[in-house]
Amino acid sequence: MGNLDHNQRASFETLLKPHLDRLYRLSFRLAGNQHEAEDLFQDVLTKMFPRLDELIDIEAPGAWLCRVMYNHFIDNRRRYARQRLVAVTEDQLPGKSVEELPGDLDPVADAERLDNIMQLDSALAALSDEHRLVVLLHDSEGYKLQEIQDITGTPVGTLKSRLHRARARLREILVANGTKPTG
Amino acid sequence: MDRKDITDQDYELLELLRDYGDATGPRPAAGFYDRAIARAVQEGSKRQRNRWVMTGFGGAVAAAMALWIVSGVFFTTPTIDDPVIPSVTMALEQPQTLNLVFASAEALEGATMTVVLPEGIEIDGFVGQREITWMTSLNEGRNILPLTLIATSPVGGEVLATLRHEGDDKTFRLQVTVI
Repeated sequence: MGNLDHNQRASFETLLKPHLDRLYRLSFRLAGNQHEAEDLFQDVLTKMFPRLDELIDIEAPGAWLCRVMYNHFIDNRRRYARQRLVAVTEDQLPGKSVEELPGDLDPVADAERLDNIMQLDSALAALSDEHRLVVLLHDSEGYKLQEIQDITGTPVGTLKSRLHRARARLREILVANGTKPTG
Repeated sequence: MDRKDITDQDYELLELLRDYGDATGPRPAAGFYDRAIARAVQEGSKRQRNRWVMTGFGGAVAAAMALWIVSGVFFTTPTIDDPVIPSVTMALEQPQTLNLVFASAEALEGATMTVVLPEGIEIDGFVGQREITWMTSLNEGRNILPLTLIATSPVGGEVLATLRHEGDDKTFRLQVTVI
Protein backbone atom coordinates (compact mmCIF):
# COMPACT_ATOMS: atom_id res chain seq x y z
CA MET A 1 0.00 0.00 0.00
CA GLY A 2 1.41 3.41 -1.00
CA ASN A 3 1.59 6.46 1.24
CA LEU A 4 -1.41 8.04 -0.47
CA ASP A 5 -3.55 4.94 0.04
CA HIS A 6 -2.33 4.67 3.60
CA ASN A 7 -3.27 8.28 4.33
CA GLN A 8 -6.64 7.84 2.67
CA ARG A 9 -7.34 4.77 4.73
CA ALA A 10 -6.33 6.57 7.92
CA SER A 11 -8.62 9.52 7.11
CA PHE A 12 -11.45 7.20 6.17
CA GLU A 13 -11.10 5.24 9.38
CA THR A 14 -10.88 8.37 11.55
CA LEU A 15 -13.98 9.87 9.96
CA LEU A 16 -16.04 6.71 10.15
CA LYS A 17 -15.04 5.30 13.52
CA PRO A 18 -17.34 7.44 15.71
CA HIS A 19 -20.32 6.41 13.58
CA LEU A 20 -19.72 2.71 13.05
CA ASP A 21 -21.85 1.43 15.96
CA ARG A 22 -24.80 3.58 14.97
CA LEU A 23 -24.46 2.57 11.32
CA TYR A 24 -24.22 -1.08 12.23
CA ARG A 25 -27.37 -0.92 14.35
CA LEU A 26 -29.20 0.91 11.58
CA SER A 27 -28.16 -1.71 9.04
CA PHE A 28 -29.51 -4.40 11.36
CA ARG A 29 -32.84 -2.61 11.83
CA LEU A 30 -33.16 -2.11 8.08
CA ALA A 31 -32.11 -5.55 6.95
CA GLY A 32 -33.68 -7.53 9.79
CA ASN A 33 -30.94 -10.12 10.29
CA GLN A 34 -27.25 -10.07 10.95
CA HIS A 35 -26.11 -11.71 7.71
CA GLU A 36 -27.80 -9.13 5.48
CA ALA A 37 -27.00 -6.30 7.89
CA GLU A 38 -23.30 -7.06 7.48
CA ASP A 39 -23.67 -7.09 3.68
CA LEU A 40 -25.48 -3.77 3.78
CA PHE A 41 -22.90 -2.27 6.15
CA GLN A 42 -20.06 -3.46 3.92
CA ASP A 43 -21.73 -2.20 0.73
CA VAL A 44 -22.15 1.26 2.19
CA LEU A 45 -18.57 1.48 3.44
CA THR A 46 -17.28 0.35 0.05
CA LYS A 47 -19.45 2.93 -1.65
CA MET A 48 -18.18 5.63 0.69
CA PHE A 49 -14.45 5.19 0.20
CA PRO A 50 -14.32 6.70 -3.32
CA ARG A 51 -16.33 9.62 -1.87
CA LEU A 52 -13.83 10.33 0.88
CA ASP A 53 -13.31 13.96 -0.24
CA GLU A 54 -17.04 14.56 -0.08
CA LEU A 55 -17.24 12.88 3.32
CA ILE A 56 -14.51 15.15 4.71
CA ASP A 57 -16.57 18.23 3.82
CA ILE A 58 -19.80 17.01 5.39
CA GLU A 59 -20.74 18.90 8.56
CA ALA A 60 -22.71 16.11 10.21
CA PRO A 61 -21.29 12.91 8.73
CA GLY A 62 -23.25 10.64 11.09
CA ALA A 63 -26.63 11.74 9.80
CA TRP A 64 -25.37 11.83 6.23
CA LEU A 65 -24.01 8.29 6.44
CA CYS A 66 -27.31 7.06 7.85
CA ARG A 67 -29.12 8.67 4.93
CA VAL A 68 -26.74 7.08 2.43
CA MET A 69 -27.31 3.72 4.08
CA TYR A 70 -31.07 4.11 4.01
CA ASN A 71 -31.05 5.17 0.33
CA HIS A 72 -28.76 2.31 -0.58
CA PHE A 73 -31.05 -0.11 1.22
CA ILE A 74 -34.15 1.25 -0.52
CA ASP A 75 -32.49 1.19 -3.94
CA ASN A 76 -31.43 -2.39 -3.40
CA ARG A 77 -34.41 -3.50 -1.38
CA ARG A 78 -35.45 -6.04 -3.94
CA ARG A 79 -31.98 -7.54 -3.92
CA TYR A 80 -31.93 -7.73 -0.13
CA ALA A 81 -35.50 -8.99 -0.10
CA ARG A 82 -34.62 -11.61 -2.67
CA GLN A 83 -31.67 -12.68 -0.59
CA ARG A 84 -33.98 -12.89 2.39
CA LEU A 85 -36.39 -15.06 0.46
CA VAL A 86 -33.82 -17.50 -0.79
CA ALA A 87 -31.03 -17.33 1.74
CA VAL A 88 -32.53 -17.00 5.17
CA THR A 89 -32.56 -20.07 7.27
CA GLU A 90 -34.27 -20.67 10.58
CA ASP A 91 -31.20 -19.74 12.59
CA GLN A 92 -30.98 -16.31 10.91
CA LEU A 93 -34.45 -15.20 12.00
CA PRO A 94 -34.54 -12.38 14.54
CA GLY A 95 -35.93 -14.68 17.22
CA LYS A 96 -32.65 -16.56 17.33
CA SER A 97 -30.81 -13.73 19.05
CA VAL A 98 -33.72 -13.29 21.40
CA GLU A 99 -33.55 -16.90 22.54
CA GLU A 100 -29.92 -16.48 23.42
CA LEU A 101 -30.42 -13.48 25.70
CA PRO A 102 -28.35 -13.65 28.84
CA GLY A 103 -30.55 -13.43 31.90
CA ASP A 104 -29.83 -10.75 34.46
CA LEU A 105 -32.85 -11.23 36.69
CA ASP A 106 -34.25 -14.20 38.56
CA PRO A 107 -35.24 -17.19 36.41
CA VAL A 108 -38.99 -16.48 36.53
CA ALA A 109 -38.59 -12.82 35.60
CA ASP A 110 -36.08 -13.79 32.92
CA ALA A 111 -38.53 -16.26 31.43
CA GLU A 112 -41.33 -13.68 31.43
CA ARG A 113 -39.09 -11.04 29.89
CA LEU A 114 -37.88 -13.46 27.25
CA ASP A 115 -41.43 -14.48 26.46
CA ASN A 116 -42.57 -10.84 26.14
CA ILE A 117 -39.66 -9.98 23.86
CA MET A 118 -40.29 -13.01 21.69
CA GLN A 119 -43.96 -12.11 21.41
CA LEU A 120 -42.98 -8.57 20.46
CA ASP A 121 -40.52 -9.95 17.92
CA SER A 122 -43.33 -11.89 16.25
CA ALA A 123 -45.67 -8.91 16.42
CA LEU A 124 -43.05 -6.68 14.77
CA ALA A 125 -42.70 -9.19 11.96
CA ALA A 126 -46.40 -8.74 11.20
CA LEU A 127 -46.01 -4.99 10.55
CA SER A 128 -45.30 -3.45 7.16
CA ASP A 129 -41.65 -2.52 6.53
CA GLU A 130 -42.41 1.19 6.91
CA HIS A 131 -44.26 0.76 10.19
CA ARG A 132 -41.69 -1.63 11.64
CA LEU A 133 -38.82 0.68 10.75
CA VAL A 134 -40.30 3.79 12.32
CA VAL A 135 -41.26 2.02 15.53
CA LEU A 136 -37.85 0.36 15.84
CA LEU A 137 -35.87 3.50 15.10
CA HIS A 138 -38.00 5.73 17.32
CA ASP A 139 -39.01 3.50 20.20
CA SER A 140 -36.20 0.94 20.32
CA GLU A 141 -33.21 2.90 19.03
CA GLY A 142 -34.18 6.33 20.41
CA TYR A 143 -34.06 8.33 17.17
CA LYS A 144 -36.10 11.56 17.15
CA LEU A 145 -38.75 11.91 14.46
CA GLN A 146 -36.80 14.76 12.89
CA GLU A 147 -33.75 12.49 12.64
CA ILE A 148 -35.85 9.78 10.99
CA GLN A 149 -37.17 12.36 8.54
CA ASP A 150 -33.60 13.38 7.74
CA ILE A 151 -32.65 9.78 7.08
CA THR A 152 -35.69 8.57 5.19
CA GLY A 153 -37.02 11.76 3.61
CA THR A 154 -40.46 10.93 5.00
CA PRO A 155 -42.16 13.99 6.53
CA VAL A 156 -42.54 14.06 10.32
CA GLY A 157 -46.34 14.15 9.99
CA THR A 158 -46.35 10.90 8.05
CA LEU A 159 -43.89 9.34 10.50
CA LYS A 160 -46.10 10.31 13.44
CA SER A 161 -49.10 8.75 11.82
CA ARG A 162 -47.13 5.56 11.00
CA LEU A 163 -45.82 5.41 14.55
CA HIS A 164 -49.31 5.76 15.96
CA ARG A 165 -50.68 3.04 13.67
CA ALA A 166 -47.71 0.75 14.30
CA ARG A 167 -48.08 0.99 18.08
CA ALA A 168 -51.82 0.42 17.84
CA ARG A 169 -51.26 -2.68 15.72
CA LEU A 170 -48.57 -3.98 18.08
CA ARG A 171 -50.84 -3.53 21.10
CA GLU A 172 -53.62 -5.31 19.24
CA ILE A 173 -51.39 -8.29 18.43
CA LEU A 174 -49.87 -8.45 21.91
CA VAL A 175 -53.27 -8.31 23.59
CA ALA A 176 -54.54 -11.04 21.29
CA ASN A 177 -51.52 -13.16 22.23
CA GLY A 178 -52.10 -12.51 25.94
CA THR A 179 -48.79 -10.70 26.35
CA LYS A 180 -48.60 -8.31 29.29
CA PRO A 181 -45.82 -5.82 28.66
CA THR A 182 -43.59 -5.22 31.64
CA GLY A 183 -44.20 -1.73 32.99
CA MET B 1 -41.34 12.11 24.18
CA ASP B 2 -42.82 13.42 27.43
CA ARG B 3 -44.50 10.94 29.73
CA LYS B 4 -47.64 13.17 29.76
CA ASP B 5 -48.03 12.84 26.00
CA ILE B 6 -48.61 9.12 26.05
CA THR B 7 -51.19 6.77 27.46
CA ASP B 8 -50.42 4.11 30.07
CA GLN B 9 -50.84 1.43 27.43
CA ASP B 10 -48.34 3.23 25.21
CA TYR B 11 -45.97 3.59 28.14
CA GLU B 12 -45.97 -0.16 28.78
CA LEU B 13 -45.45 -0.85 25.10
CA LEU B 14 -42.61 1.68 24.93
CA GLU B 15 -40.91 0.02 27.90
CA LEU B 16 -41.12 -3.28 26.08
CA LEU B 17 -39.84 -1.78 22.83
CA ARG B 18 -36.89 -0.20 24.64
CA ASP B 19 -36.16 -3.51 26.30
CA TYR B 20 -36.38 -5.17 22.89
CA GLY B 21 -33.92 -2.63 21.47
CA ASP B 22 -31.42 -3.31 24.25
CA ALA B 23 -31.89 -7.06 24.12
CA THR B 24 -31.69 -7.56 20.37
CA GLY B 25 -29.13 -4.87 19.62
CA PRO B 26 -26.65 -6.47 17.26
CA ARG B 27 -23.07 -6.97 18.31
CA PRO B 28 -20.59 -7.36 15.47
CA ALA B 29 -18.00 -10.09 15.70
CA ALA B 30 -14.61 -9.06 17.04
CA GLY B 31 -12.57 -7.34 14.32
CA PHE B 32 -15.56 -6.94 12.01
CA TYR B 33 -15.19 -3.17 11.70
CA ASP B 34 -11.48 -3.41 10.90
CA ARG B 35 -12.13 -6.05 8.26
CA ALA B 36 -15.00 -4.04 6.78
CA ILE B 37 -12.85 -0.91 6.52
CA ALA B 38 -9.96 -2.82 4.97
CA ARG B 39 -12.29 -4.34 2.39
CA ALA B 40 -13.96 -1.00 1.67
CA VAL B 41 -10.56 0.58 1.05
CA GLN B 42 -9.44 -2.27 -1.19
CA GLU B 43 -12.63 -2.47 -3.26
CA GLY B 44 -13.29 1.25 -3.14
CA SER B 45 -9.81 1.98 -4.52
CA LYS B 46 -10.46 -0.46 -7.33
CA ARG B 47 -13.72 1.35 -8.18
CA GLN B 48 -11.94 4.68 -8.09
CA ARG B 49 -9.41 3.44 -10.63
CA ASN B 50 -12.09 1.84 -12.80
CA ARG B 51 -13.89 5.16 -13.12
CA TRP B 52 -10.99 6.48 -15.17
CA VAL B 53 -11.16 3.68 -17.69
CA MET B 54 -14.92 3.41 -17.96
CA THR B 55 -16.06 4.07 -21.48
CA GLY B 56 -18.91 6.24 -20.34
CA PHE B 57 -22.57 6.21 -19.89
CA GLY B 58 -23.47 7.41 -23.39
CA GLY B 59 -23.32 5.32 -26.52
CA ALA B 60 -23.49 1.65 -25.90
CA VAL B 61 -24.60 1.89 -22.29
CA ALA B 62 -27.38 4.37 -22.89
CA ALA B 63 -28.50 2.45 -25.93
CA ALA B 64 -28.66 -0.70 -23.91
CA MET B 65 -30.91 0.84 -21.31
CA ALA B 66 -34.60 0.34 -21.40
CA LEU B 67 -37.47 0.86 -19.06
CA TRP B 68 -40.07 -1.75 -18.58
CA ILE B 69 -42.96 -0.70 -16.47
CA VAL B 70 -44.67 -3.62 -14.96
CA SER B 71 -48.07 -3.61 -13.42
CA GLY B 72 -49.28 -6.92 -12.09
CA VAL B 73 -47.49 -9.06 -14.63
CA PHE B 74 -44.14 -8.61 -16.29
CA PHE B 75 -44.29 -7.28 -19.84
CA THR B 76 -42.10 -4.89 -21.74
CA THR B 77 -43.26 -1.44 -22.70
CA PRO B 78 -41.76 1.04 -25.15
CA THR B 79 -39.31 3.74 -24.04
CA ILE B 80 -39.59 7.45 -24.70
CA ASP B 81 -38.09 6.91 -28.15
CA ASP B 82 -41.22 5.08 -29.18
CA PRO B 83 -44.29 7.04 -30.23
CA VAL B 84 -46.46 5.22 -27.72
CA ILE B 85 -46.04 6.25 -24.08
CA PRO B 86 -46.65 3.39 -21.65
CA SER B 87 -49.72 3.92 -19.55
CA VAL B 88 -51.28 2.53 -16.45
CA THR B 89 -54.73 2.90 -14.91
CA MET B 90 -55.01 3.35 -11.17
CA ALA B 91 -57.88 3.48 -8.73
CA LEU B 92 -58.18 6.54 -6.51
CA GLU B 93 -56.42 6.19 -3.12
CA GLN B 94 -55.35 2.62 -3.92
CA PRO B 95 -51.57 2.13 -3.73
CA GLN B 96 -50.21 0.39 -6.79
CA THR B 97 -46.66 -0.81 -7.23
CA LEU B 98 -45.00 -0.32 -10.58
CA ASN B 99 -41.71 -2.00 -11.24
CA LEU B 100 -39.39 0.06 -13.34
CA VAL B 101 -36.88 -2.25 -14.92
CA PHE B 102 -33.59 -0.88 -16.17
CA ALA B 103 -31.24 -3.01 -18.22
CA SER B 104 -27.68 -1.78 -18.14
CA ALA B 105 -24.76 -3.19 -20.09
CA GLU B 106 -22.43 -2.58 -17.16
CA ALA B 107 -22.47 -1.74 -13.46
CA LEU B 108 -22.84 2.00 -12.83
CA GLU B 109 -22.05 3.77 -9.58
CA GLY B 110 -23.15 7.23 -8.53
CA ALA B 111 -26.17 7.66 -10.81
CA THR B 112 -29.12 9.76 -9.70
CA MET B 113 -32.76 8.99 -10.21
CA THR B 114 -35.31 11.79 -10.27
CA VAL B 115 -39.01 11.09 -10.33
CA VAL B 116 -41.34 13.99 -11.16
CA LEU B 117 -44.99 13.47 -10.40
CA PRO B 118 -48.09 15.27 -11.64
CA GLU B 119 -50.52 16.92 -9.24
CA GLY B 120 -52.52 14.25 -7.45
CA ILE B 121 -50.05 11.38 -7.82
CA GLU B 122 -47.72 10.57 -4.93
CA ILE B 123 -45.08 8.03 -4.11
CA ASP B 124 -46.10 6.11 -1.02
CA GLY B 125 -44.34 7.62 1.97
CA PHE B 126 -43.53 10.94 0.26
CA VAL B 127 -46.73 12.83 0.90
CA GLY B 128 -47.09 16.05 -1.09
CA GLN B 129 -43.70 15.75 -2.82
CA ARG B 130 -43.79 16.32 -6.56
CA GLU B 131 -40.11 15.74 -7.26
CA ILE B 132 -37.91 13.18 -5.53
CA THR B 133 -34.22 12.59 -6.26
CA TRP B 134 -31.91 9.99 -4.83
CA MET B 135 -28.54 8.41 -5.51
CA THR B 136 -28.47 4.96 -6.95
CA SER B 137 -26.22 2.46 -8.60
CA LEU B 138 -26.98 -0.08 -11.29
CA ASN B 139 -25.80 -3.61 -11.51
CA GLU B 140 -24.94 -5.14 -14.82
CA GLY B 141 -28.12 -6.62 -16.25
CA ARG B 142 -31.61 -6.00 -14.99
CA ASN B 143 -32.25 -3.59 -12.15
CA ILE B 144 -35.73 -3.33 -10.75
CA LEU B 145 -36.98 -0.25 -8.96
CA PRO B 146 -40.36 -0.74 -7.33
CA LEU B 147 -42.34 2.52 -7.06
CA THR B 148 -45.56 2.46 -5.10
CA LEU B 149 -47.81 5.23 -6.40
CA ILE B 150 -51.02 6.54 -4.90
CA ALA B 151 -53.53 8.69 -6.77
CA THR B 152 -54.95 11.31 -4.43
CA SER B 153 -57.05 13.06 -7.08
CA PRO B 154 -58.80 11.77 -10.22
CA VAL B 155 -56.83 14.04 -12.56
CA GLY B 156 -53.93 11.75 -13.47
CA GLY B 157 -51.05 12.88 -15.67
CA GLU B 158 -47.52 11.99 -16.66
CA VAL B 159 -44.83 10.56 -14.38
CA LEU B 160 -41.26 11.26 -15.49
CA ALA B 161 -38.32 9.16 -14.29
CA THR B 162 -34.89 10.50 -15.20
CA LEU B 163 -31.68 8.60 -14.68
CA ARG B 164 -28.50 10.68 -14.76
CA HIS B 165 -24.91 9.55 -14.76
CA GLU B 166 -21.81 11.64 -15.40
CA GLY B 167 -23.48 14.26 -17.59
CA ASP B 168 -25.72 11.89 -19.50
CA ASP B 169 -29.35 11.31 -18.83
CA LYS B 170 -32.30 9.31 -19.99
CA THR B 171 -35.94 10.13 -19.28
CA PHE B 172 -38.82 7.73 -19.25
CA ARG B 173 -42.48 8.72 -19.29
CA LEU B 174 -45.52 6.99 -17.93
CA GLN B 175 -49.09 8.13 -18.47
CA VAL B 176 -51.28 7.57 -15.42
CA THR B 177 -55.04 7.50 -15.72
CA VAL B 178 -57.10 7.52 -12.53
CA ILE B 179 -60.54 5.97 -12.35
